[in-house]
Amino acid sequence: MESLKVLWMSTGLANFELGQVIMMLVGSSLLYLAIARNFEPLLLVPMGFGAILTNIPVAGFSEVGGLLHYIYYVGIDTGIFPLLIFMGVGAMTDFGALIANPKTLLLGAAAQFGIFATLFGAIALNFVGLDFSMKDASAIAIIGGADGPTAIFLASKLAPDLLGAIAVAAYSYMALVPIIQPPIMRALTTEQERKIEMAQLRHVTKVEKVIFPLGVLLMTIFFLPAATPLVGMFCLGNLMRECGVVDRLSSTAQNELINIVTIFLGLGVGSKLSAEQFLNTKTLGILALGAVAFSIGTATGVLMAKLMNKLSKEKVNPLIGAAGVSAVPMAARVANKVGLEANPHNFLLMHAMGPNVAGVLGSAVAAGILLALVG
Amino acid sequence: MENHQALFLEAGTLMLAGMIFVFAFLGLLIVFINVVLVKLAKKYPDTIVKSRPTSKKNNNKTDGSINPAVVAAISAAVSQYRQQQSTQK
Repeated sequence: MESLKVLWMSTGLANFELGQVIMMLVGSSLLYLAIARNFEPLLLVPMGFGAILTNIPVAGFSEVGGLLHYIYYVGIDTGIFPLLIFMGVGAMTDFGALIANPKTLLLGAAAQFGIFATLFGAIALNFVGLDFSMKDASAIAIIGGADGPTAIFLASKLAPDLLGAIAVAAYSYMALVPIIQPPIMRALTTEQERKIEMAQLRHVTKVEKVIFPLGVLLMTIFFLPAATPLVGMFCLGNLMRECGVVDRLSSTAQNELINIVTIFLGLGVGSKLSAEQFLNTKTLGILALGAVAFSIGTATGVLMAKLMNKLSKEKVNPLIGAAGVSAVPMAARVANKVGLEANPHNFLLMHAMGPNVAGVLGSAVAAGILLALVG
Repeated sequence: MENHQALFLEAGTLMLAGMIFVFAFLGLLIVFINVVLVKLAKKYPDTIVKSRPTSKKNNNKTDGSINPAVVAAISAAVSQYRQQQSTQK
């Protein structure tokens, strides 16, 4: 009888707590969104599964000695996984559209207002009973950068306790870009502005593409060394892509390596989705602020593009400003789609890729600023 | 409450400093592209690999005309085929 009792006490059924069950349902919801709705499946599948694993009673996945504990400790606590992902993203990024039309960098800069305005919003939530420190607020604000690896990197440095909620918010809203952005883009532009056709981009030579990442790195070294982990890895990946002599390394960085790291990054983030860390009012605040951050970033990008259209000799379709929030290449595709609705002959995709990759650089720079000033 | 207000002030300063820095950094990058990269592009343009001229013996002409030799060979083959058909009957 005693052994039967011991056996029962070692089952999951006897040890389940309500919080664990709820978090398993949250993990299952992430799996549903990824598999049935195709929302950022590459990350949400391992993240959702990680959330289920970490909430299994008795198994101790996220305790010392557990698999997820070590994955988190080795890859995310140290910042290595997001940086490796950033290298892969660099290897996948073509800066041609940006170099051909460099003023689109200003659109990428304007869209970062979403980050800094959200920082303000997070602190404002302290007046309604939440308790966010400046580090917490900075980590939450980076969701507005619409850049998963940057958000995870900064959150792991500034607010590891909020990492799970921040990663879930960042990737959820990135998947929701086609739903969040179009109403804002339509509200801030006229039909005539959405119809604007832009001049064809000039040809960008190989030497420009090779020197560009080195120039970006040099400027980061001079002016913002705190951002060099992110920008440096990004530039390394991009240089491998463009130099043309290490195709094997470039291919590995943008395929096998980024895939392997994505599995572990997802599991590591999932390990932070435990009941005690996720089921609180702060998570609700983070989810709300994430939506605000995306919306403000989109709006300021579009408004900046409108201003550029007024001041510039060449016509600028304001829709491409929305791509400044990064979320590559989803935001550029959304700009293209909304443009096509107004003018079926107007293909904005290449023009939107300029502010889109500028947004990646902009959010990495913003993360460096927050690290330097708050970290 | 005073602590909240101090945080609010700090967030405002951070927002201002952050946006100025982001614009300054990416603005400098515009200058870098316009000054350095564009000059480099003019000095080292992409080398265009010229396609090798097709040999005179090549019958696959791209201008739409058909080589007279090919026309003669096909005509000969067709007439030979017809002759064979008529002798079989």
